[in-house]
Amino acid sequence: MEVDAFRRLFPLRFHERHLLESVRPDARPLGKARDTSLALGAVGSADGSALAKIGCTTMLAAIKMEVMTPANETPDEGCIAIEFHMPAICSPIVRPGRPAEAAPVVSKQLSDTILSSGMIDLKELSLVSGKAAWMAYLDIYCLDADGALFDAALLAAAAAFSHLQIPVVSLNDEGRIVVVSKGEKLKNKPVNEEKRKLKLRSIPFALTCIIHKNYILADPTAEEESIMETLITIVLDSSCQLVSLYKPGGPALAYESIIQDCIALSRQRLRELQTILNEAMCDMEVD
Amino acid sequence: MAAKAGATPATYSPSPTTNKKTRPPLFTDVDWVRPDGRDFHQCRPAFLRTGAVNAASGSAYAEFGNTKVIVSIFGPRESKKAMMYSDIGRLNCNVSYTTFATPVRGQASENKDISSQLHKSLEGAIMLDTFPKTTVDVFALVLESGGCDLPVVISCASLALADAGIMMYDLVAAVSVSCLGKNLVIDPVTEEENYQGGSLMITCLPSRNEVTQLTITGEWSASKIHEAMELCLDACSKLGKIMRSCLKESASTSQE
Repeated sequence: MEVDAFRRLFPLRFHERHLLESVRPDARPLGKARDTSLALGAVGSADGSALAKIGCTTMLAAIKMEVMTPANETPDEGCIAIEFHMPAICSPIVRPGRPAEAAPVVSKQLSDTILSSGMIDLKELSLVSGKAAWMAYLDIYCLDADGALFDAALLAAAAAFSHLQIPVVSLNDEGRIVVVSKGEKLKNKPVNEEKRKLKLRSIPFALTCIIHKNYILADPTAEEESIMETLITIVLDSSCQLVSLYKPGGPALAYESIIQDCIALSRQRLRELQTILNEAMCDMEVD
Repeated sequence: MAAKAGATPATYSPSPTTNKKTRPPLFTDVDWVRPDGRDFHQCRPAFLRTGAVNAASGSAYAEFGNTKVIVSIFGPRESKKAMMYSDIGRLNCNVSYTTFATPVRGQASENKDISSQLHKSLEGAIMLDTFPKTTVDVFALVLESGGCDLPVVISCASLALADAGIMMYDLVAAVSVSCLGKNLVIDPVTEEENYQGGSLMITCLPSRNEVTQLTITGEWSASKIHEAMELCLDACSKLGKIMRSCLKESASTSQE
């Protein structure tokens, strides 16, 4: 029988035959993630943006800053609104008008992870205490869905925040915040001359693994995710501390030894991703 | 908890918004200098690439100046069960904008209108009888809107259809022209579109010299329409050549 036909008719047997040889259909060893690349500043109209690619999975993250009045309980804090979109272009299972099942799940996961990892101090988003603060709208669009959506989305989000350039604003006479254009005679002193870049503390990085019988496959493709359904996502921050561990059900059970192995794989991946992010930031600074 | 789930506060954008109502008086003597320094009859340089999305049957990415669009084609695949039997294929188009496509967040314009215009311009070019009973889905996402969105989406969509191997009579190229006072400006940017007195968009099949869609808004005299149409058809044939060379390049690289 032809290989392609066998792959379509008996997908599980096809993949298990590969796992016996400790390799995957795309010739990767079990613990290796796909080629990852990062490009900062992909969108000109946004204040911060990044394009992350893990294998074929492509995510475009962009941040737009708007002004809001801070809540009464937290007059010195701004706000971050994170949303993950899966437009119809990214995958044959998504239809326009009906949001994909995975989209709100990843959206909430991202929101929780970014806010609880302490990457951003919300006090840095404050403009005028009690009156005005920044609301950072982070929108992540999946342009091509090929597995490991959360990993790529988190990487794109972290990169977009590193690229973010907060516009210089001042308070005008009517009490509204306006952007100061270059060369304009400044009637009012700019409110945030110094605070142009956010200081990112521990940046979180994620690795999704599939657990199947005794095998652990790092960074699954969409095909692998649909056949072997048990996923486990581990998020570590830059000091190798565990930020989040997410295992949403699935037929395989995760014993302690398996979790330890996954964490070890995540640590390796953390170092890889840190180098990639740092290189991308250096390239941007050179420009 | 930093972000309160239920109460999303009202926000406003601090950037100076271009007020459409405050337009400068009619361009009688003033010579408009285009923001990117182009001639009135010069189009923006086009960057086209096929195979942008791996999960789709065919896809293309187009960048014309600041307008960036990705189009994915899925199909021919099974029509929805509710649809009646059809001897010829169906075409389903959908265009959406990202929230950061426009300078002010979430200002996504008339999506349904653009989707139906895309449908009308493509359906004349596709050989629908080569895929009976099935549907071809054309999905477009505008990443950044820098002016002249619909023509770019149409050109990009026809390139993606070619990449997917859907049979067509010819590639579809689209160009639009804006009327600023007495001047005809081709391939306008957002700023020029805001000040325009009228616009004319042509989508045509360049090698067959056939027009699939012609859209005119505003006040036009007959001679102006002729002039604008000549400009557009000329630009479309040039765009058609660029699209063809892009397809040839991707075909030859995939052969290697």
